Amino acid sequence: MALLDAISGADAAVPNGRILRLVLLPLGFAAVMIALWQILCQTLQVRPILLPPPSAVWTVLRDNYAILLDQTLPTLSESILGFVVASVLGVAIAVALTSSRWLREALYPGIVMFQLIPKIALAPLFIVWLGVGETTSVVVAVFIAFFPIVVSTATGLVSAKPEVLQLCKSLTASEWQIFRMVRFPYALPYIFAGMKVGVTMVMIGVVVGEFITAQNGLGYIIMFAAGAGETATVLAAIVLLCVIGLGLYGVIGLAELLVLRWFGGEAPISGVI
Amino acid sequence: MSLELPAAGSPRGVLAIGRSVRRVRPIILPIVTLTAVLLLWQLAAVRLHIPSVLLPTPSDIAQEMWHALPLLVDQAVPTALDTLLAFAAAAVLGIGLAIVITYSRPLRDTLYPNLVFFQLVPKVALAPLFVIWLGYGSPARVAFAAFISFFPVVISAALGFAGTDPAVLRLCRSLTASEWRSFLLVRFPFALPAIFSGFKVAMTMAVVGVIIGEFISSQAGLGHYILRAGSRLETADVFAALVALSVLGVALYGAVALAELGVRRAYGRR
Repeated sequence: MALLDAISGADAAVPNGRILRLVLLPLGFAAVMIALWQILCQTLQVRPILLPPPSAVWTVLRDNYAILLDQTLPTLSESILGFVVASVLGVAIAVALTSSRWLREALYPGIVMFQLIPKIALAPLFIVWLGVGETTSVVVAVFIAFFPIVVSTATGLVSAKPEVLQLCKSLTASEWQIFRMVRFPYALPYIFAGMKVGVTMVMIGVVVGEFITAQNGLGYIIMFAAGAGETATVLAAIVLLCVIGLGLYGVIGLAELLVLRWFGGEAPISGVI
Repeated sequence: MSLELPAAGSPRGVLAIGRSVRRVRPIILPIVTLTAVLLLWQLAAVRLHIPSVLLPTPSDIAQEMWHALPLLVDQAVPTALDTLLAFAAAAVLGIGLAIVITYSRPLRDTLYPNLVFFQLVPKVALAPLFVIWLGYGSPARVAFAAFISFFPVVISAALGFAGTDPAVLRLCRSLTASEWRSFLLVRFPFALPAIFSGFKVAMTMAVVGVIIGEFISSQAGLGHYILRAGSRLETADVFAALVALSVLGVALYGAVALAELGVRRAYGRR
């Protein structure tokens, strides 16, 4: 939510009314939109295949709770696994890249290049290599989430203030000590910014993986229900996906808050990517 | 990059060589790495007898590209057109909404958190809905790609407009510049870097959106080609299309970067 702070940063010391406005207005808007959607669907007699009213989506969510939950679990576990693997791999590779000038100059342009090309298009290749299954979804997710984490972390690791590094060197700190006590803490906001982009990418990867492998998961439900013209079920699955996405993002935001407080670091940088 | 050969052994000459090598290294090294990777791939695939269904050799892929080039170009045209259309729509709508948000406080308070919310949720999941609404044709893909590339533009542009130096804005007001003039002459140029960083993200998102759209609905385009070749296990074909797609992606991104350079120069800034 660093974005919000940045845009309304002018009045940081806010009175109560302002907080109320900042919370109530958007929520109220969302509520009005949903109400409008419901009313329009009913008065204009929109065919439920085209756009079911929110109440129909709610009915699906309530009645098919067990089935939907069954399909939510694989998507959730794939997302978490994909995110963890992408983060560990991304940070490790960024550390390797920044520790050697040769490695950096050799590999970094390639990694930036990979940022630009539409990696999602490789998904069918992963099916050829790994078959249709959960592994494919996870690997697709890792593959597309990995690059923003590497680039962001690498940027962070080289962004420590030169004065501080000089001080460390003149105090005869070892490379490892400098890394542990200076470079890494300085890089933390960048790492988390990369992870936030990464987690939205992981969701894209998992859903697209499920679209095209069509074995299980919410992506599968969406494709299946869309093919059968059950739009309410599609929307119900999307609601659950949104919950997963926001939940994971929230966990990372919370972790960022805790870790940065632990290191006594600066405020999180805004990750607009 | 002139590498003048000095008299052997003279320390200054060695230094000069060292310096020019260091200057060329960032360009040479990535190319050398890429060549090495391709060579290794070729050797490994041939030596280990990896079936070409699993991993075709780079030479197979190059051959496939050469043969299928007219076909690939044919398929790239609809993909490129859809992407450009989607990007244009996202750029215009995104900047429009960002301007509205910047000038109306209640609207900003109302809309901005919802925009951030949409930025975070997996919008890709909505792709099948666009097919239901707009059919199997190109409008569904364009609309979907515009939908997912719209949010980064709004958010970066809004941040850019809001980040204008307040002192400059006050100066404009005290010089009795109209809102419109101060927007055109101050806010917009100030926001250009942010707007273009949004554009760059939007362009990559637009390509992704069109490809996903082609995966699930299309009869043409590179995404369709990739999926079809993949399901026939013609892996060299898949790779050839991927190369074409990468070229397209980088070219579109390059076009945005070039436009940024041009626009910023026109505004007299680097």
